[in-house]
Amino acid sequence: MAKVKNKRNAGLADRVHNKKKAEANKKKLNPFEVHINKEKLKVLGKKSKHDRGLPGVARAKAIQKRKETLGTEMKLLNKTNTFIDRRIGEKNNQISAEDRMIARFAAERVKQHSKKSIYNLADDEILTHRGQTLEQIEKFDDPRSSDDEDEEKQFGGLDNDFVSEGHFGGGVLSKAESKDGAKSHKDLIEQLIAESKKRKAEKQKEKEQTLDLTEKLDSEWKDLQPVVFKKQKVQEESLIDKLLSKAEKGQDYDKMMRELRFEKRGTPSDGLKSKEKQDEEERKKIEELERQRELRMISEEAVTTLKNAKPPKHRSADDLDDNFELEDEKEFMLAYDKDGKPLVPEHVLKDYSVPNAKKVFDDGVSDTSDEEGDNEEESDEDDNEVEDGNTDEKNEATKSEDSDEETSDESESEQETEKSNKKGSTKNRSENLKESKGSKRKHSSNSDDEIVSSLDNSKKNKVKSKTETESLQSSESKSNKLNSSNDKNVSDEENDEDEDDEDDESSDDSKDGSDDDSKFNNLNDLKGSDESEDDDIEDSDEKIGAFFEIKSVEGDNLKELLTGKTPSQHTIALQKLIKSYDPGLSENNKELLSRLFAHLLQYTHDVFSNVSEEGDIIKSFLIFDRLVPFFYDLIHINKVSTKKFLVELLKEKYDAYKRNPKKVPDLNTLIFFKLVSTLYPTSDFRHPVVTPSLIFMSDILTSARFTDAYSVSRGFFIVSLILEYTVLSKRYVPAAVNFLRGVIYLCANTCVLNPVQVVPPFRLHKSAKILILERDCSHMTAERKMAAKDLAATEIDDSLKIRCILTATLMLKEFFDNYMEIEALEAIFEPHIQLLGRVDLDLYPKKVSKKISEVVTYMKQNLEVKTYTQMSRDKVKPKALRLYEPDIQDVFTGSKSSKLSKENADRARLQGKYKKEMKGALREIRRDKAYIASVKIRQKIQSDNIRKDKVKQIYKDASIQQGELNKLKRMK
Amino acid sequence: MAAVQPNLSKMISAQLRNKANEFLNSRKHANNLADILQMFEAETENYTPLLLTIEVIFTELLKRGDLIQHIVPLKPIDHSPEAEYTRWLCECYEAAIVRALECMRRGKTSSRLQALVTACKLLQAEGKHPLEHTTGYFFPSVRLKNIFLVLLDSETSMSAPITRFQEFTEYRDMQQHGLKVLAALAFRKSPSPIYMQNFLELLDKLLAAKIPLDNKGKGKDRDNDENEMKVLCASEGKPNFPYNPAVCRRFANRCWSFACQWPLCEEPRTHRRALLLLVERLMPLLNRPHLATDMLCDSLDAGGPISMLALQGVLELVRHHNIDYPDMYDRLYAMFEPEMFATRYKKRLMHLTDIFLSSTHLPESLVAAFAKRMSRLALVGSPEDSKGLLQLVANLLLRHPALKRMICCEDTPAIMSNDPYVMEESSASRARALGSSLWEVRALRGHWEAGVAAAAARVLAAAERDPPLSLALEEDSALFDAELKKRFKTIEINFIRPQTMALPSGERLLQYWELTA
Repeated sequence: MAKVKNKRNAGLADRVHNKKKAEANKKKLNPFEVHINKEKLKVLGKKSKHDRGLPGVARAKAIQKRKETLGTEMKLLNKTNTFIDRRIGEKNNQISAEDRMIARFAAERVKQHSKKSIYNLADDEILTHRGQTLEQIEKFDDPRSSDDEDEEKQFGGLDNDFVSEGHFGGGVLSKAESKDGAKSHKDLIEQLIAESKKRKAEKQKEKEQTLDLTEKLDSEWKDLQPVVFKKQKVQEESLIDKLLSKAEKGQDYDKMMRELRFEKRGTPSDGLKSKEKQDEEERKKIEELERQRELRMISEEAVTTLKNAKPPKHRSADDLDDNFELEDEKEFMLAYDKDGKPLVPEHVLKDYSVPNAKKVFDDGVSDTSDEEGDNEEESDEDDNEVEDGNTDEKNEATKSEDSDEETSDESESEQETEKSNKKGSTKNRSENLKESKGSKRKHSSNSDDEIVSSLDNSKKNKVKSKTETESLQSSESKSNKLNSSNDKNVSDEENDEDEDDEDDESSDDSKDGSDDDSKFNNLNDLKGSDESEDDDIEDSDEKIGAFFEIKSVEGDNLKELLTGKTPSQHTIALQKLIKSYDPGLSENNKELLSRLFAHLLQYTHDVFSNVSEEGDIIKSFLIFDRLVPFFYDLIHINKVSTKKFLVELLKEKYDAYKRNPKKVPDLNTLIFFKLVSTLYPTSDFRHPVVTPSLIFMSDILTSARFTDAYSVSRGFFIVSLILEYTVLSKRYVPAAVNFLRGVIYLCANTCVLNPVQVVPPFRLHKSAKILILERDCSHMTAERKMAAKDLAATEIDDSLKIRCILTATLMLKEFFDNYMEIEALEAIFEPHIQLLGRVDLDLYPKKVSKKISEVVTYMKQNLEVKTYTQMSRDKVKPKALRLYEPDIQDVFTGSKSSKLSKENADRARLQGKYKKEMKGALREIRRDKAYIASVKIRQKIQSDNIRKDKVKQIYKDASIQQGELNKLKRMK
Repeated sequence: MAAVQPNLSKMISAQLRNKANEFLNSRKHANNLADILQMFEAETENYTPLLLTIEVIFTELLKRGDLIQHIVPLKPIDHSPEAEYTRWLCECYEAAIVRALECMRRGKTSSRLQALVTACKLLQAEGKHPLEHTTGYFFPSVRLKNIFLVLLDSETSMSAPITRFQEFTEYRDMQQHGLKVLAALAFRKSPSPIYMQNFLELLDKLLAAKIPLDNKGKGKDRDNDENEMKVLCASEGKPNFPYNPAVCRRFANRCWSFACQWPLCEEPRTHRRALLLLVERLMPLLNRPHLATDMLCDSLDAGGPISMLALQGVLELVRHHNIDYPDMYDRLYAMFEPEMFATRYKKRLMHLTDIFLSSTHLPESLVAAFAKRMSRLALVGSPEDSKGLLQLVANLLLRHPALKRMICCEDTPAIMSNDPYVMEESSASRARALGSSLWEVRALRGHWEAGVAAAAARVLAAAERDPPLSLALEEDSALFDAELKKRFKTIEINFIRPQTMALPSGERLLQYWELTA
């Protein structure tokens, strides 16, 4: 009743109930089906899976499974074929036929995009053109032959008029016209034929002409090829040439094609860069160099610490964390180059003195590895030229093998004649040179004539030269001499070729020079007449040509070349000299130029020696100004030997100075410090030239006595150079700071009672206060800079005193700024400030006193702001304990035979497993057998039953028949 | 000894050689000797050839024994020509020696030196072949006395000959007899400064060869010594010279006791010489060295190089003779002034300071003040001096672990507005250096000279390093040469071509100088 009453609720409840029931049904086991396996030994905490089983269910499952597998197999037993329908959507009746097709097409496309064919784009699609595949079309035949087809026009090349007339017969009107013309059809046709023949002939002719032209062009191209393409093997080419000439016309094409295919293509050279690009590259290069320079500024130790910060690449498992590093330097293989010098890395050379190896500083030979690059860059163009020339010559040689000997003879004789000429009179030489001015080809042809003319000369001159060389043997070894003269031949030739260009340049330069000169109007004596320069230069050409002839007089040569000239003329002369001995022109030139460097040093020394007048000093500096770029050039040509020369010079100067360390060296020593700073990077932590010169300067400042105008002005000169040396690195140079302190001390009023310490060479109360201003100079105009006249000054006048203190203060400020980072700033500069405070500023010109007080307040302020933090070390991180790989041991397998060895235990375990599996498999097979038997028995029973039924039926039928028969019988 | 005017002097010396040979070969040319001696009268600068000649002649004569006079006692003087000749030779010999000694006073330095050498050579020859027949060892003390009399001149400084004389003082007999003679000569009431100078120098040279100290080890060592001992007047077949260090010491003491009474401290040169002698040579020999204490203390107050020298003596006294010296360290502290760089004895001072401050019982504040002051000085010194000072500071840091706080403060570093260290404070322990740090050393890390920068780095790393190094003192100008010897892998050169003298960047010379107009 309740159900009826509350139907909705009851339904819900029912549903819930049913659900629960279903779940319960599912899970609920028939207790009669559960079979409990008896446990023999109870192990505590052991989870047993097999404590209970459902034999009925399990059996049913197994049977079901067998039915699906073994049963179906049995069904198909002894059947040869199976039929599987895999058409997509075939069995599915719901899909329409169209959808089915679409699905199949999609599947096909998907298949195509399988992984294998992902990169074969359009592999399957064969592209066609007019029904032909492209492959068939692309036969790369001779393009000439295709001309014919192109020419072929419609209707066999007949005119449109004709066609329209002839083919279509024309209308009434046209016929009438034809009649007028009185031309029969036959005539017409004949005319047509004649015309077409004529045209064909014309075409044929034209074609032949173009063919000829093409061939000609080809042959010319062949000639050109060696010129255009670098480095071709001569032998090969000549072979090909021969073959080509021999071969018939038909083979020509194949040859050509093959040749083109295997031929070395011209090596691609860098395209010409635009100006911006070049500038950009230049800038980048310089930036890189700057970066390297800054790196070199740091000391090696700091660098090593920086390096150490990087984690090592590899850590051994045995690493004990003690920063021990295995030295696994790569072993190098000892090899020798063609000169018999070992090819050994630089550092090895340094560490072990390999007997064969030349010392690093021995001469300019060993440094080639470093420098070659530079030189190559510089003389790239020249190299190319030379190489081109070489290949040219080679070609000639190969082409005209017969004439080869001749040419070689020629060249030899040429050399000889030139050599002899050179040693002979200069007139002869100039003739020779004039002749050689022509182009190379011409030159060779000319040489025949030349030989005739100069052979006689050479004979004469040879005798002469012999005597000369003998006379020279004392000064120089013979072989050396000959070499150098040989080289000169080459260089001379080049020389003359260059000459024209140079003349242009030099004229440009002279213009520049005159511009520059106009700056120094006040020095009229220096402004030589530009017009006469050219004459001078021509004179000097001869000197240049013979510059290095005799070793002993090189220096004199240079002196002769340069003395009595204006600075701008110096530039031109040197430019010419250096260019004519460009290292690209001859091997020896490098050495010659380094010798030139030494002579230039000597010349500089001479220029600055014994200059006591202001004008002389200025002139010397002007000359030096012009020399500096050439020093730079020369030093780039041969780093090592030029460095050697400069260092030797410094050493010599230093020894001379040490003989009397209390006297400041004169300008002919000091100028080289300036030279060093222009040539070498002064910021390097250690540098073979810069460091010694710094030591030298510091020595001068610490031990010389500054008691007169001469020494004080030179002291300032040195200090400004020291500033220049340390402008980038900001290194601390006590000697310079002390010198400034001393100079300010000399300017200041100090009394005995309240002394301010000074550092030797200045002595408290002992140094005479030579710089102190005694009278009021407040109205004097002050010059801002020290000047050349100060270097020449013998007496200290008031203006010099003023300049001294001004310069000292300005320098002091710069040092102060340089050392701003140093914590001990106060300790360094406090005495200076004190001393500056004692200077009687009222006496000085207003500008100067203002400047000084500005600097003092600036320094004071900065010192006030300066804070001091006690030095402490970076906290050292505690080293983490190293963790090791976990030590994995065998898991206890619980097998009884734990005493067995590992292999045996494994073996036993595997055997146990195998046994188990075997057992299970046998059981399965047995059950399969049982299943098969049961199926078979069932089938048999079934067929028996059918047979029985049929028998029964038969009996039944028979009995019915019998009964009917009997009935009939009975009825009868 | 080579003649300066080649031709003339060569001729003269050839002539002289001829004459000497002739004289030595036969007695006919006896007058040659007189001629030679006569030539001393000529006024020249250079007596060298003459001196050499008489040296040759008389050495030969002495060797031959021509000079030996056979005087038989209780007999009248022999007047035979032979004896007369011998007597004449002896007279000439005496005259020659007098001439030679005179030559020491005048003429060129080389000639003076040659005179000394000649005199000494003659002395040696006479020692080997004595004029009177003796059986034992003979040393012609009289000759030596004459030489010394010349050397101890009151007017002219004899430092050049005395320096030359050193080559003879290596001989033990010369040393012993020299000391004896000198002690006999020494007494003088009020000597001139030059005399004192000469005396001190001579004494210094006489003591140049070390006198062995212990008298006990006479056994085998002594024998060995004797074998090696150089004896000037040794001749074969005669007993060896009995060298007695104790005697030497006694005479040296006597010499010094005379010198002590002189006003040594009045002139700085003499003062320095005396101190140098005392400190370098005499100290270990003196019987009662503490008697020198007064002098040393006075010298210590004198300041400059003198006090540096005195310091060494005081150190000796303090270390070996139990002398207590008040304010020793403050005096030492006061010596560390920039002026020390100009003195010759700065290296000695550094070395002594290293010894003085090696005691671990010194108060921290004192040692800290030293460290601070030295690093301040290193800031202004030349590279060599800075290196030495930094080494000293490093040693201090190593010996006194408490100073570590000056380079690595353990507690959180405070920021100060100025350096707590007071440079002007004369007392080291009140200079408040412990609160400061060695910023100066850090500044020296940026020193232009790589060696100094490295030394500074070593100081900063001193906390964990090996035992202190002794101060290695370099020669002057070694730095320059060392730098030249250094090898570089590459020679870096500038990469921007200068168009003029001015640098493309960072030109400073032309900023301060107007050179080309």
